[in-house]
Amino acid sequence: MTDGPSPMVQLRGITKTFPGVVACENVDLAVGHGEIHALLGENGAGKSTLMNMLTGIYRPDAGEILIDAAQKHFAAPADAMAAGIGMVHQHFKLVPSFTVAENIHLGWDRTPVLVRDADLARRTRELAAGLGVEVRPDARVEELSTGEQQRVEILRVLSRRARLLILDEPTAVLTPKEARDLFKTLKIFVGRGNAVILISHKLDEVMGVADRITVLRGGRKVASEMTRDCSAGMLARLMVGHDILRNAPRIRSDPTPPMTAAPVLQLRDIVVTDAVGTIRLGGVCLEVHGGEILGVAGVAGNGQKELSQVLTGMSRVNSGDILLAGEDYSRRSAREFAEFGIGHIPENRLHSGLAPALSITDNSVMREYRRSPVSRRAWYRPGRARALASCIAAAAAVRVADLSMPVANLSGGNQQRLVARREMRIATRVLVAAYPSRGLDVGAIDSMMSYLAELRDSGVAVILISEELEELLNLCDRIAVMCRGAIMGTVDPKTASIEEIGLLMAGQGTFEPKPLERRH
Amino acid sequence: MSPSPSNVDTDVASFRIQRHPTPRKVTTLAARTSAVALALLTAGAALALTGASPWALVREVVADTVGSSFGLEDLGLLVSPLLLTGLSVWVALRIGAWNIGAEGQFNAGALAAAGVGLYVPGSTLFLLPLMLLAAIGGGVLWIAGPALARAYAGVSELITTLLLNFVAALLVYWLATGPWLDPGGRALGSTARIVHEIPEFWGSVHWGLPAALFLAVILGAVLNFTRWGYEIRLCGANPQAARYAGIPVRRRLVVVMLTSGALAGTAGMFEVAGTVHHLQGGISNNFGYLGIMVAVLARRSTLGVVAGAVFMALLLDSGTVLATRGVDVSIVLAVTGLVLLYTAIGDEVAHYRIVRTSGP
Repeated sequence: MTDGPSPMVQLRGITKTFPGVVACENVDLAVGHGEIHALLGENGAGKSTLMNMLTGIYRPDAGEILIDAAQKHFAAPADAMAAGIGMVHQHFKLVPSFTVAENIHLGWDRTPVLVRDADLARRTRELAAGLGVEVRPDARVEELSTGEQQRVEILRVLSRRARLLILDEPTAVLTPKEARDLFKTLKIFVGRGNAVILISHKLDEVMGVADRITVLRGGRKVASEMTRDCSAGMLARLMVGHDILRNAPRIRSDPTPPMTAAPVLQLRDIVVTDAVGTIRLGGVCLEVHGGEILGVAGVAGNGQKELSQVLTGMSRVNSGDILLAGEDYSRRSAREFAEFGIGHIPENRLHSGLAPALSITDNSVMREYRRSPVSRRAWYRPGRARALASCIAAAAAVRVADLSMPVANLSGGNQQRLVARREMRIATRVLVAAYPSRGLDVGAIDSMMSYLAELRDSGVAVILISEELEELLNLCDRIAVMCRGAIMGTVDPKTASIEEIGLLMAGQGTFEPKPLERRH
Repeated sequence: MSPSPSNVDTDVASFRIQRHPTPRKVTTLAARTSAVALALLTAGAALALTGASPWALVREVVADTVGSSFGLEDLGLLVSPLLLTGLSVWVALRIGAWNIGAEGQFNAGALAAAGVGLYVPGSTLFLLPLMLLAAIGGGVLWIAGPALARAYAGVSELITTLLLNFVAALLVYWLATGPWLDPGGRALGSTARIVHEIPEFWGSVHWGLPAALFLAVILGAVLNFTRWGYEIRLCGANPQAARYAGIPVRRRLVVVMLTSGALAGTAGMFEVAGTVHHLQGGISNNFGYLGIMVAVLARRSTLGVVAGAVFMALLLDSGTVLATRGVDVSIVLAVTGLVLLYTAIGDEVAHYRIVRTSGP
C-alpha cells in the first residue's frame, strides 16, 4: 500500500463460486481515499461478480470486506449503500416517464413527505450544484441522451452520500465529449477525498484517468499497479494472458482447396445506428473469400452483434453496401440472404435461433421447410419434416428417441450442435458463426471447431465471431479486431502477437478507427 | 430416451416427487377430468348449502339437455357459435395474439348480415352468401384496427379488441331499437324478421353447426399440413426466431388476426340467419367471451376446441334448465370459473410424477 495505513475500501481473499465455476478466487483489492481505481479484465474475468459482492448483491464464500478498516457484512444492497458504496450499472435503473427530479427522489428516505414538483426541482438543483453534476431537474428521463441519463444516475448515487462510486463500463454508451465531461466530474469527486472504481476494458481511457490499475483474469487478480508504472502493452498482455496455447492451425485438407479469387461477401462503409441514434457500426469494410475463415475478435458489445445481423440480412443498414458475389443485397430480406446460401449460428440460440416451446422437428426444419422434400407447393409434410429432423439430429449427435419433444428439453450443447448442423446445411457460400462455443464444454467446442474447418475445406467462407483468442488464432486465416463499432485492423494469426491483438481490442494502436480495407 | 427430470423437489421416505418438463397425455387427461368433476362437486356442494337437492337437479339437467331430442337440439344451437368464437380466439392465440374482441366482431358480423338481409332485395339463395360475406367483412373490419396497431405500433391487442366490444354492442342496440326497429311494430326492441334463413338439417339445428365443424377441421389441417401453418406456429412460439427464418412476422400476424375476426363475424351471421332471425340487443349472448374459455381449455389442438365448445354449450344449457327450476343462473358462471381454475391447477400437477427411489 503506498497511501496511508487504512484505505477506504479493502477486499481480502474474496472467493465466490457458482455451480461449476469459480467466479472469483482469493482476490485482494485496496482503494484509497482520493483514488480512481480501474478494474481491467475480459468478459468473465470476475469484475462484475467482485463488484456485486462489494455492493451487497452477492455474499462472498470466503474473504472479508473492510470499509475504513472496519469489517462489514452486506446482507443486501441497502447495507452497502448505507456504508457509502454506490454503483452505476451499465443499464440504467431509471424510470423513463418520470422527471429527473422525481427519479432522484424515488425511494429515498430524505424525500419530503409532501411532494411538490417545484420543491423536488429546487432540491435537485441544489444537490446537483453542490456535487458539480449538471442536470435539468424538470426534464423527463426518456427525453435525455444516454450521457445525460448517466449523469442523473450518478447524481442519484451521490445524493445518497456515496463515498465510493463504482461505474460499470461508463463510457460504452458515451460520445468522446460526454466521456471527457464524465471524467472531469469524477476528478472533482475524488478531489474531495472520495474514491471511484472504474470497470473498463478500454486501455487508453484507463491510462488517462486512473491512479491505480488492477487486472483480473479468470477470477484472479494478476496485477495491481500504479498507472505511472504501467504501459498499454503490458496491460494488454496481462488482460489477455500469455499462456495461450498455439496449436498448429487445424490441418487443411490436401491439396488445399484454393480460396476464391473474387470475394463472396463484401461490406463497404456499413453504418448502423440503434433506435436512439447511437452509432453501433461506423463505416465497417470487410471482404471474405470462399474457403477461408475470417475471425472477428473483440470484447463483446463492440458491434459484433450488429455485424452478424448485417451479414445475415436481419437488420437494415443506415448506409453502405452489402455485396454478395458482386450483387447488391443492401435492401434484401433475411430470407433472400438465406437463399443466397448464408447460414447463421446466432449469438443467443434460445432467443433467436430456436423456438424453445416447439418440437425438435419443428426447430430442425426451420431453414428448409419451404423446399422439397419438407413441403411440396403449399403443403407441409410432417413425415418428411421428421425424416429431415432425424437426419440433422444424427449429424449433430443429438440422440433422442422422441423428436416431438420440445427443444427446450435438450441440453445447451445439444441445442447448439443442432443449430450448427441445421445452418451448415444451408450455408453453401457463407457461414456466420457468432460465439459458437459459448457455454459449451471442451468436447462440444472441439466438434464445433471441426464443423467450421469442414465447411472451410468445402469452399465456404466462414466468419467466426468470438472472444476466445485461442480459438481464433488456431482456426482463422485472418483476424479482424473490432472496437466501438469499427474494425481497428486485421492481423495474420501466424505472425500476430497477443499484445498487438490486445491493443487493437482496447481501441489502441490506431486512434482513428481505420476500416479494414478502403475502397479505391 | 425420456426427458430427464428437471429438478427434484421433495424427498419423502423412499418416494420422491419429480417435475417433468413434458406431461404425459394420459396424466393431462386424468387431471382435466378430475378438474371438471371437482368443479361440479364444488358447485353441487354450494347448491346443497342453499337447501336444494343437487342430485335431483342433476337428473333433471341431464334429462333436459342430453336426455331428450329437444335438449340435444338446444345444445346443437349453442355449439355452433361457441365453436366459431372458440376457433376465432384459438387461431389468434396460435400466433400469440389475444383476441378478447370476438364478442365485438360477432356483433359486427351479426349487424352486417342483418343489414344485408333486411335491406337488400333478392332471393335467399343469393342473399345468404352475401350476408355471410358482409358478416366476414364486419368481423374483419372490427379487428383490422387492433391488428394493424399491434403489428406496426406494438399496441396491445388485449385492450383495443376489448374496448371495441362495447362499441359494437352499443351500435347493435342503437340500430335494433332505433333506425332498424321493426316498422310493423310487432317485434319489441328488435328489427323485423329476417326472412332469409339458413336451412335446418335436424329439428331446429341449422347447417351452421356442420359448417363450423368443417371450418375447425380445415383450420386444423391448415395449421398442421401447410407451409403457412408452420410459419404461424413458428411466429407464435418465437417471433425473433421466425424473423431469423425469413418469415414476414407482421404480415402473418395481421392475416391471422383478420382471420380470427372473420370467424367471429361468421358466428354472428349464423346466429342471425340460423337461430334468432332478428337483430336485437344482446344477440352476442357472451359467446365471444365464452370463446376465450373454449380456446384456453383447448390449448394447442383443434379437437380441443370442439370438445371445449361442446362442454361450454352443455354448461350454458344446464344453466337455462336450472333457471327454470328457480336456481340462480350465476351458478353456471361460477362453474365455468371453477373449471378454468381447477384445469390450470391440474395442468401444472400433471407435470409431476411420484417415483420410487432405488437403493437405500
